Amino acid sequence: MERASAASHGRKILWAVGILILATGMAAAQNPSFYTKWTNYTSANGFPPGEVYCVTVDGNRVWAGTGHGLVLLENGRVQKVFTTKDGLAGSAVMSVAVDQLTGDVWIGTFGGLSRYSGGQFKNYTNLTSGLANDLVYGVAVQGQYLWVATTAGVNRLDTHTGSWSIFNESNAPFEEPWTYGISVGAEKIYFAVWGGGVLSYDRANHYWKPYTDPDGEMELVLYRNQGLIHNIVSSVSWNPDTKTFWASTYFGLSSYDGRNWHNYLTKDSGLPSNFINAVKSRGNQVWACTQKGLSEFNPTTNTWVTYRPDLKTGRGEILITRPDGSKRQIASSSTLAHNYILNLDFQGDDLWVATANGLSHGTRQPRKVAAIPR
Amino acid sequence: MKGRNVVFLNIRNGFAILIFALACILVTSARSQSTASTPAKPAPTAIPYANMPPAAVPFGRYRKPYQDWFVDSSTLEYYGAARERPDGDLAALKTINIGFLGPLDANNYDSPYGIAMLHGSQMAVDDANAHGGYHGKPFALKVHDDLPLWGASSMAIVNMVYDDRDWVMLGSVDSSSTHIELRATLKLELPIMDTATNDPTVTQTRIPWLMHNFPDDRQQGYALADYIFNQRHLKRVGILQVNNRYGRAGKDVFFETARRIGHQPLVEVWYAPDTTDFSAQLETLKSSGIDGLVIWGDAAQAGLVLKQMRAMGMRQPVFGSSRICYPEVLKIAGPAAEGLVTISAIDPTRTDPAWQQFRQRFLARFHTEPDAYAAYAYDGMNIAIAAIKKAGLNRGTIMDALRQYEMTRYTGVSGTAFFDYTLNNIAPVTFAEVHNGQFVYWPEQRTDWHGKPVSFLR
Repeated sequence: MERASAASHGRKILWAVGILILATGMAAAQNPSFYTKWTNYTSANGFPPGEVYCVTVDGNRVWAGTGHGLVLLENGRVQKVFTTKDGLAGSAVMSVAVDQLTGDVWIGTFGGLSRYSGGQFKNYTNLTSGLANDLVYGVAVQGQYLWVATTAGVNRLDTHTGSWSIFNESNAPFEEPWTYGISVGAEKIYFAVWGGGVLSYDRANHYWKPYTDPDGEMELVLYRNQGLIHNIVSSVSWNPDTKTFWASTYFGLSSYDGRNWHNYLTKDSGLPSNFINAVKSRGNQVWACTQKGLSEFNPTTNTWVTYRPDLKTGRGEILITRPDGSKRQIASSSTLAHNYILNLDFQGDDLWVATANGLSHGTRQPRKVAAIPR
Repeated sequence: MKGRNVVFLNIRNGFAILIFALACILVTSARSQSTASTPAKPAPTAIPYANMPPAAVPFGRYRKPYQDWFVDSSTLEYYGAARERPDGDLAALKTINIGFLGPLDANNYDSPYGIAMLHGSQMAVDDANAHGGYHGKPFALKVHDDLPLWGASSMAIVNMVYDDRDWVMLGSVDSSSTHIELRATLKLELPIMDTATNDPTVTQTRIPWLMHNFPDDRQQGYALADYIFNQRHLKRVGILQVNNRYGRAGKDVFFETARRIGHQPLVEVWYAPDTTDFSAQLETLKSSGIDGLVIWGDAAQAGLVLKQMRAMGMRQPVFGSSRICYPEVLKIAGPAAEGLVTISAIDPTRTDPAWQQFRQRFLARFHTEPDAYAAYAYDGMNIAIAAIKKAGLNRGTIMDALRQYEMTRYTGVSGTAFFDYTLNNIAPVTFAEVHNGQFVYWPEQRTDWHGKPVSFLR
């Protein structure tokens, strides 16, 4: 009897421990740590006013492209604002890429391409180089090559020889030459093409492959996971961990893992807006820069978390959308500089976010959060 | 924290696991009470996108799309920061600058349209200044030539924002240039009044910074298809298009509409913009057995085509896009133009005072009749100036003022426009037919695609 009782007691303990572990797991799954500490750099504290179009992290340095030049931050402090007076090709800075081998900083502006090296700017324009157009939206480094996304096609600059190549509708399957963004993968390079979908370039075999909206119509999406959701693609991000590319459009979000497409709209996901300026993905994280906030999507758990100032009150809020579609809203004592998000980059686990009204630095915090009742 | 489901958690504390489990229950309970509803469905609109004929809806016979765009007021929603920018300092400004981008160089194929557009814009600016400008400060047009070399004018909008410091811009004719400006303005946030582009895709981007009042290729294509197949009952149509973006975009709309309603064109051929001998194209069309020809191109080439096809014995009726409706086609084709039916972006024979006064003033000042490009530029510039006057010197609120035209009418010298949720003018177009050597105009009378006339948007 005693043995039976002891065995029964042991089973109860095991059940209790099991339930506790399960409860802990559930709690942890439902309450992941959030980005609740935000430091904002705006005109209120000396940052250039207005939009921050792009942000690129390089170690402890952060480069931010604004409508009034290029900002360099080191260890979280503004070190210098470079303008056309310093030699920058244009005031509106759309993209920045750092060559990790040389330390050169490549800057795409509305005014041409700039290289910042050794404290000096060298500029490349349509008239002075092989640059296809002076409206430069994207730059990316691939070994010795610099890829440039312009409004008149894609350039590749061989930085060793100085020779330029141009790719547009005359030598590659561009439906339109208007190129927005670039993402470099180990095997392929992906391009976001306005009106032309996504293009990939095979690095080894030198061929191009287009991914376009299969329904071919601007005014509709025929099937939910039909393929690319729309041809107006604002950015693309290759995730080497999941071997998937993500494409942001002004008509929703798309992903392709080489076999299946998945599309996301506000009506079937936690996206706060279908108007998405940029996307970046790593590991299980997909970050969508929308005009109604910054969203993190975890495709494994099918959970969305959106950070933004409340669109009416401006107070910080975190919106969670679970796989069943249920939503939860959490107050946050600090928040992003603006809800209109243009770009972001990672610094370890930290985020640097370009918004319509300044740059934001987000840090995950052990939480102490309050759920806002509805 | 009274009455709130406040939960403080500390996972690091092992003992708190039990509290944590309890919290899960509480959170779940709270969630069930606080679950947000999914966004409300947009109210159905009474007007299909672009006033599209039911028979021409893509995939309309097969399935309802998973998502329809451009059919509700969220189409151009804007949550950026433009409205939060400081207003312009009126006291520090000598002029209230407005940008202009259009093809002006005489060597540019499109310069006749660009010059007319500039003249219409200048008249509107001068009219506004004659009425006091903006709080006593004159409006000033900052003119940029849209160069024929592709992409060469791409920096124009950058200069308008950083150098000219314009509050709004007007332009251009070429749809590639307009697309470039459109994408740049998504970043730079300068409102665009587009008064001349035919390309329907410029208003299919969800970018809220552009308003478009010229009848685009969709409106022209739908009207022509309805007229040709439902009212003239032709069945075997051929297409002849100029090989540039204007010709390609326009042809595509007409071709797709015709195909969807069961009258796929038998043949489509193209010609280079400087073509004078069309015998090769006409031989192809003749041998195809067409019973009608649609030309998407310009007046001079259409005149030559008419002359040469009649000389070859081809008697098929000919239809054309709005750029063909110019006196030049009559002059070149002569009697061969008889019976030609085209879309016209305006009816220049209207007798209403607004048009007549504009026509007379334009004629007196520029010594030429105003065309559609002049009329729509005049109206577009008036809309832009009114937006500045209403909203003040803030590009964000000027954009808001333009957006207030969504789903409303505007009557100007070009006629009455109706702007849909994309801020595109989808009002009925005008037809013109050559009769006794002159164009005779009548308003589009679309059918229900079963032969019965319907009234819409008038």
